[in-house]
Amino acid sequence: MPGSIVYKKSYSFLLVIIALSTQTACSVAPWERGNLAKKQMLIDPNPNRSALRKHVFDSKESSQGGIGGSGGGCGCN
Amino acid sequence: MFFLLFCPSISAVQVGETVPVCNAEFKAPVQKLDLTKYRNKVLFVDFWATWCPPCKQSMPFLNALRNELNEKGFEIIAINVDEDSQDAVEFLQQFPVDYPVAYDSLGDCPAKYDVKAMPSSYFIDRQGKVRYVHLGFRRADEVEIRTRVLSLLEEKK
Repeated sequence: MPGSIVYKKSYSFLLVIIALSTQTACSVAPWERGNLAKKQMLIDPNPNRSALRKHVFDSKESSQGGIGGSGGGCGCN
Repeated sequence: MFFLLFCPSISAVQVGETVPVCNAEFKAPVQKLDLTKYRNKVLFVDFWATWCPPCKQSMPFLNALRNELNEKGFEIIAINVDEDSQDAVEFLQQFPVDYPVAYDSLGDCPAKYDVKAMPSSYFIDRQGKVRYVHLGFRRADEVEIRTRVLSLLEEKK
């Protein structure tokens, strides 16, 4: 019955499903990937810098472990 | 299912079909792309974009192939699908090609051709029918592309 809590909840649920459907129905076409191909869209936009920072971090904090680090702290590996 | 109606791959160009009419235009002079003007020529319709490295890698080879076989009735029509066509214009100023380049920033042509990958190339015979679709580009594909073009050129007019 319109106006009841059950009706409102059902209506809201339906709207959420429709909203989610719009996100999943179409994939990005191959010719529409110009923005996705931009450097700033990379998960790691600067892999060299990240590798260097990880190396320094691993060297200094390797005793903590947990992120797959290696080396004994001398910074030479 | 309703939203699938808006997906671009509803109408796809199949091998053996006539090329579809789509909205792309040449610059300088500005005119609409009309592939029927190229009947009696073997066409190579190439979809490319500046953000696509293999597309750019293919261009020197395609340009050389086109210049070599142009007199025998071969032509390349490149359709740029950059959302900002100015990117392609600036790229072509640096790396010019001799074949005509049309621009389709709205993606009408790739949608009608149902482009599956970038770059995608459509081999079109003298009767205006799609004969083969080539997806992507690697150096190793050059021989195959050349062979297919020569094969189409050898067919009767």
